[in-house]
Amino acid sequence: MISIRDVVTKENIKRKNTIDGVTQAIFMASAILSASFIVLIIVFIAFKGLSPFLLNYEGYNFQQGTVDLDPVNPISFLTGSQWLGGTLGLSSDYGIGFAIINTLIVVFLAIMLSVPVSVFTALFIAKVAPKRLANVMRTVVELLASIPSIIYGVFGLGIITQFVVFVAGFFDYQTAAGLSLLSTVIVLSIMILPTITAVSETSIRSVDKTIIDGSLALGASDIQTYMKVVLTAAKSGIFAGIILGVGRALGEATAVALVSGNLFAGIQLNPLGTTATLTSRMLLGIKDTTGIDYDIRFSIGLVLMAVIVITNLSLNFVMKRLGGIHEQ
Amino acid sequence: MDAIFELKNINLYYGQTQAIKGIDMTIERNKVTAFIGPSGCGKSTFIRILNRMNDLIPECKIDGNIEFEGQNAYAKDYDVIELRTKVGMVFQKPNPFPMSIYDNIAYGPRCQGVKNKAQLDEIVEQSLRRSALWDEVKDRMKESAMGLSGGQQQRLCIARTIAMEPEVILMDEPTSALDPIATQKIEDLIVELKELYTIVIVTHNMQQAARISDNTAFFMLGELIEFGATDKLFATPQNPKTEEYITGRFG
Amino acid sequence: MNNKALRQRQDNFVRGVIYTLGSIGALVLATIIWYVVSNGIGLVSLDLIMGDSRTFNTDVYVETAPGNYPLEGYTGELELFYSERWGLGFVDTFNRAGNEAVEIGYVHPDSPFNQSLDKNGFDEFGNHLVIEVRPGFTIEKGFTDTAIFLGRNGAEQIATIVNQANVIDEISIQSRGDGIRGSLITTLYLIGMTLLIAIPIGVSTAIYFNEIAKRNRFTNTIRTMVDLLTGVPSIIYGLLGAALFIPLLNNTIQTAGGSVISGALTLAVILLPTIIKSTEEALKVISNDLRQGSLALGASKTQTIFKVVVPSAVPGILTGVLLGVGRIIGESAALIYATGAAIKDEIILTERSTSLAVHIWTVMQGEKPNFELASAIAIIILGVVFVMNFVIKLLAKRLSKAMY
Repeated sequence: MISIRDVVTKENIKRKNTIDGVTQAIFMASAILSASFIVLIIVFIAFKGLSPFLLNYEGYNFQQGTVDLDPVNPISFLTGSQWLGGTLGLSSDYGIGFAIINTLIVVFLAIMLSVPVSVFTALFIAKVAPKRLANVMRTVVELLASIPSIIYGVFGLGIITQFVVFVAGFFDYQTAAGLSLLSTVIVLSIMILPTITAVSETSIRSVDKTIIDGSLALGASDIQTYMKVVLTAAKSGIFAGIILGVGRALGEATAVALVSGNLFAGIQLNPLGTTATLTSRMLLGIKDTTGIDYDIRFSIGLVLMAVIVITNLSLNFVMKRLGGIHEQ
Repeated sequence: MDAIFELKNINLYYGQTQAIKGIDMTIERNKVTAFIGPSGCGKSTFIRILNRMNDLIPECKIDGNIEFEGQNAYAKDYDVIELRTKVGMVFQKPNPFPMSIYDNIAYGPRCQGVKNKAQLDEIVEQSLRRSALWDEVKDRMKESAMGLSGGQQQRLCIARTIAMEPEVILMDEPTSALDPIATQKIEDLIVELKELYTIVIVTHNMQQAARISDNTAFFMLGELIEFGATDKLFATPQNPKTEEYITGRFG
Repeated sequence: MNNKALRQRQDNFVRGVIYTLGSIGALVLATIIWYVVSNGIGLVSLDLIMGDSRTFNTDVYVETAPGNYPLEGYTGELELFYSERWGLGFVDTFNRAGNEAVEIGYVHPDSPFNQSLDKNGFDEFGNHLVIEVRPGFTIEKGFTDTAIFLGRNGAEQIATIVNQANVIDEISIQSRGDGIRGSLITTLYLIGMTLLIAIPIGVSTAIYFNEIAKRNRFTNTIRTMVDLLTGVPSIIYGLLGAALFIPLLNNTIQTAGGSVISGALTLAVILLPTIIKSTEEALKVISNDLRQGSLALGASKTQTIFKVVVPSAVPGILTGVLLGVGRIIGESAALIYATGAAIKDEIILTERSTSLAVHIWTVMQGEKPNFELASAIAIIILGVVFVMNFVIKLLAKRLSKAMY
């Protein structure tokens, strides 16, 4: 019989080590590739999104034929209060400032609507509900999280806008078939409910039992304990859930585009009027995949990324300030 | 005296902390050497120097001279894989792979490129016989090793190590997770295996060291306090710390 | 005493609020399911899944003489007017635009109309194309040797005229359309190709982070970069597809604009964080004893990874893959940019087409959204996604028990 020791030769080990080195290099290359996508996203969207500000695009129209367009003015783009001044194809007077504000309004209202529901749902699942009911509700939240946004869009256009039309009827108000700020806010608040609920529930459940016992021992009722002690202790987790929800709400596209009405100009404060978000402006009305009207959508993409990053950073800053009071 | 390991002035650091302090030791071939000492004394760290398992810990640094069979085991051109095929190791908790019993034993040889079925069959059978497990498992070679009892799992791990035909088998508290009957079987096995292999065993159990080992090393706080023939060390310890420890006054 | 009663009343009020707000989620879920099912279930059929999306109009005829084809096995709900001599049945119904129409309700298995000839379509030898007349085709008009009929004559009269005819010169038909076969196939292609790209890269990345990478600044940097992908909204990934993958494919394999391939590449990037995360979580729970046991036997790191570590991580990887499949099926915003929103019947990987989710987007656009079709597709998507959710839960339960 050949001994195993005869197989463990210097050459065999060397070959093993070579294979080992190559494989590890492949793993490392994969990791670098995965990491590079964030850079590719920024670079390529910036490349396409900055060109409307730098290049003279060619416009075209049946009446006037080919015309040379001025580059988009970045200041008026960022502050503009209407999407397009002039005729489509003949103008480079794009503005997105109103949509930035409308996006922030929509997201703020959606958070206002969603947070109480989400936090109480989380409290309900984690503490208040009987075990079996809690399990059912947990599954409900998971299923809501798994519903794709396009289906929320169908639901929004089929039900929520009808609800808004019904509500508007009380005020004798003629809506654009229910496409409105209110519809957008409702649909969005439903979509971020599972996100905020799931994160809040985890943090509510991880509240130290001794804190709860301490409160109960002082004669507080269970409900008082949940409201005053548990929610306070879970505050930073709930806030983290809200930050996640805000991120999702800012980037949500298809459902919002279907119910917003894609307002052309102006800041919308009337809940029954149409609105426009950055994403709805990006997604709707794509006529062609070349030209300034297409490339300007990449510019909106850049703005959207900036809005997400800035919102995230400021919310994290706020959270640190708030969290610092009781913790550490 | 036939030395298999020659260690001179070994120091080992975990970052800033020194875990092993200037130890010299000679380990004899085909003998059982036991490492004893209170927990945290460095005995488990020290045994891992012998097959370079400490290499896996990034912040761990070793200096000193470690010769295995007359060669510097930490030299650049001494491959760690070669060392580990010659210096096998059995761990504290039985750690069979989640595969069949057969595949567990054949794992090491296969990793070295042995593919021949007949040869693998023979290696598996011989290893299981040597570790006194053959009769218990010969009819269930294709079953998962996870289904074996704790003692059987540990003997399987010994068999897995034997399959590589090592010179040395390191055992890091191999019976600490086992019941007395399983422990007895492993101890019997160690005494049998001594004929073929050099065995180094870390144990927290002094009676075990006294029963099965030829030489015993007593560690404390990273230092080697006393090292010598087991019967002498237990009967007439030279160092008062050793005496305190083996008489149970501390640790 | 009074105080206690007040407190109890307060508590009960708050409890009521918690129960009310806590049940909103269930209410919403129930409403969504009720809505899509009540709107779409009537359309869900094999016909929808296998059918073409486009309608086509043409004129067909048969060269055969009439025979005798007694009616057998008609299961439709509408009253059928049947011509035994031609094996063709007609029903009065409404078309999708809501107008009265006469449709084919039944075709006998041996009827010559199973192989009628297309007056307007020819193959490369100049022969008429063969068309299978199927239930659901709308009748516009027709000529026989004895009479002419129009769709508005109604099913009963048409059946009578057809049955009297000895020769059928021409029947103008319109196929049903609004099928989703093309989008379904595109979705399946997208799932297959995306996983083919994302699994190797994602699993390798997770292995690198958990098994190989040293703890240093370089590792931290690339890990942070990968983590950042999680927060990127899908529409931004769509822009990446349009700005990077589409031009790349246009210039290398000469695609023209978006394609299934550019969609799959984009989806693969979207899936990476999910697959990396769930693989890493699975790798983390694998006991270090196993790795040490393998290395102590003289196995190399690669051998340890492939023979011991990865097999134990399979359930976790599978969880990530299933989550990813759910994401592919539901993704719309990214694909609108990365593959386009054109509904196709014949799917070519290098050309535009839509997934099921984007199909919903396309039919929901415009003045008259097609809620029925959108809901029908939504039923299919929700069915798959919910089942997947269930399987993931089962896997997680498995995972928490002992492995192997």
